[in-house]
Amino acid sequence: MNALRGIIAVAGFQIRRLLAPQRIALALVGAAFPAAVILAVRRVADLNLDVLALLLYALVPEAVCMLGLLVTMCPVVADELERGTWQHVAVRPGGRRSLLLGTFLAAVAWSSLVALLALALALAAAGLPDSGPLAPMFAVLVLVSCVGRAALFSLPAVIVPKRALVASVAVAFVVEYLAGFLPAVINQLTVSLRLRSLLVRWMGWERKLPPELSLIIDTQPPWVQIVAVVALASVFLFAASIILAGRQFPPAEES
Amino acid sequence: MIDLEHATKLYGTVIGVNDLTVVLGAGAHGLLGPNGAGKTTLLGLVTGQLRPTMGRVMIFGERPFGNPRVLARIGYCPAADLLERGATPREWVSYLVRINGVIAPAAGKAAAMAIDRVGLGEAADRPLMTLSKGMRQRTKLAGAIAHDPDLLVLDEPFVGLDPVARHDLVVLVREWAVHRSLLVASHLLHEIEALDAGLAVILGGRLVASGDVEEIHALVETMPAEIRVESASPRRLAEIACSSGLVDSLRFDGHAGLAIGTRRPRELVAMLGRAAVAEGIVILALSAGDRSLEGVFDRLVQLHRGIGSGSGGPRPPAPAGLAGESLP
Repeated sequence: MNALRGIIAVAGFQIRRLLAPQRIALALVGAAFPAAVILAVRRVADLNLDVLALLLYALVPEAVCMLGLLVTMCPVVADELERGTWQHVAVRPGGRRSLLLGTFLAAVAWSSLVALLALALALAAAGLPDSGPLAPMFAVLVLVSCVGRAALFSLPAVIVPKRALVASVAVAFVVEYLAGFLPAVINQLTVSLRLRSLLVRWMGWERKLPPELSLIIDTQPPWVQIVAVVALASVFLFAASIILAGRQFPPAEES
Repeated sequence: MIDLEHATKLYGTVIGVNDLTVVLGAGAHGLLGPNGAGKTTLLGLVTGQLRPTMGRVMIFGERPFGNPRVLARIGYCPAADLLERGATPREWVSYLVRINGVIAPAAGKAAAMAIDRVGLGEAADRPLMTLSKGMRQRTKLAGAIAHDPDLLVLDEPFVGLDPVARHDLVVLVREWAVHRSLLVASHLLHEIEALDAGLAVILGGRLVASGDVEEIHALVETMPAEIRVESASPRRLAEIACSSGLVDSLRFDGHAGLAIGTRRPRELVAMLGRAAVAEGIVILALSAGDRSLEGVFDRLVQLHRGIGSGSGGPRPPAPAGLAGESLP
């Protein structure tokens, strides 16, 4: 119970930090980005539901979620070190774990909110009358993406706090976009495989896909994909929590 | 309460704390040392932020690193400035108490009490970015005491405080130390002296002396002090000094200077004065080591660094008599 209170306290405090005017402005720009792209596409081509779904997938659960998490989850330790608040939190019982999990919750909540706003704006910009069913589907994809990727980014954030952003971008490319597209067991451990598989399943694209591309999706039911992401996220967070519990930072300034 | 046994902390090849053995009982203790002596590293070990590379650190009979039972009983006020500028002191202190697992309303009350206690009441709801460094320092202190810890650890708590705030803080901390335990690190001796705390002097990551103020004075009395003399006849004075049997070391410093190491500085000075009068030797200047507590501290620093015992002579013995002792 005490641990949960600590996690909630950190989550609330991190969200307050995110509510700074600059952060809100950045989030609004990020949320408007997919709509701007879709408007630009509409000027040169006609949109149909399949094209819109592909665009939304690339822009919202991939791009917006990823960018949102890079600025909220990656600095989980680096920010505290920079603000001189790490020592205050690290000396609290369970403080390190609360910091990690509370920041995870805040990052997921914030990034999901921005991505859902981006989704709403993008759907409005698309102006397709039959695009209504895409909204709940992509809302789930956004949540799954944020949970999985936030947990993934927690690892570089605690292993290399001062290079977390660069390391997380590298992890995103190597794990999500390289290993995730390998038709091998390794791609089972990526969030991108689960997201693609959910998209293909919910859009009914299984039969339209050429056999080569069916190698890079998983044909298990949607609940399996979601459970797999939750399991992956739990493992990533557990590992990050263990690593952070053992981290020692030399005093920046000797008194 | 605090038990370090051959505690050593290495950062790669850099030594933070070096083979430090000390037992500090309940009560107030001051940790003295110049910048870079290893005080913050030692406090990091005590507060469970760092794990010793070698040796053992026990607080309240348990290892503090990653130990929630011990951490719940420690309040820590770091030296580094608080750059959490958006929050108010009330929000910040309440947040820290909530991380300890306290529910929000109780955390709010604890924060309010701590803020009042450090005299920050009127500024409690102003953003930290608008507060002076001294007020942020008080905010840090409020955060350290709000959860009512048994051991309060303060790292350079007086930095940035004006004299009135410094006095208030001394009063507060002294009151605290009546019923609870306190460990204060500082490089300024008078700050520790004002707290009536036991002293532990740390240099180069090693404990070089510990005891109360009088014990440290007594320790220094037994160690060589340096008398510096400027005279028109330094060689004659050197002969007289050497024949007195009071000299541990001696060196000439330029044409007129003479530096004499002695364990009996008062007798030596008196004897030199008598000899100068008797033989008509002109003494241009004569200075003895500073015997104030600040001077004592400087002396310990010099001795640790092998300075001031007379160059060319043997290095004075380390004050091992007190280093590594237990303080009640």
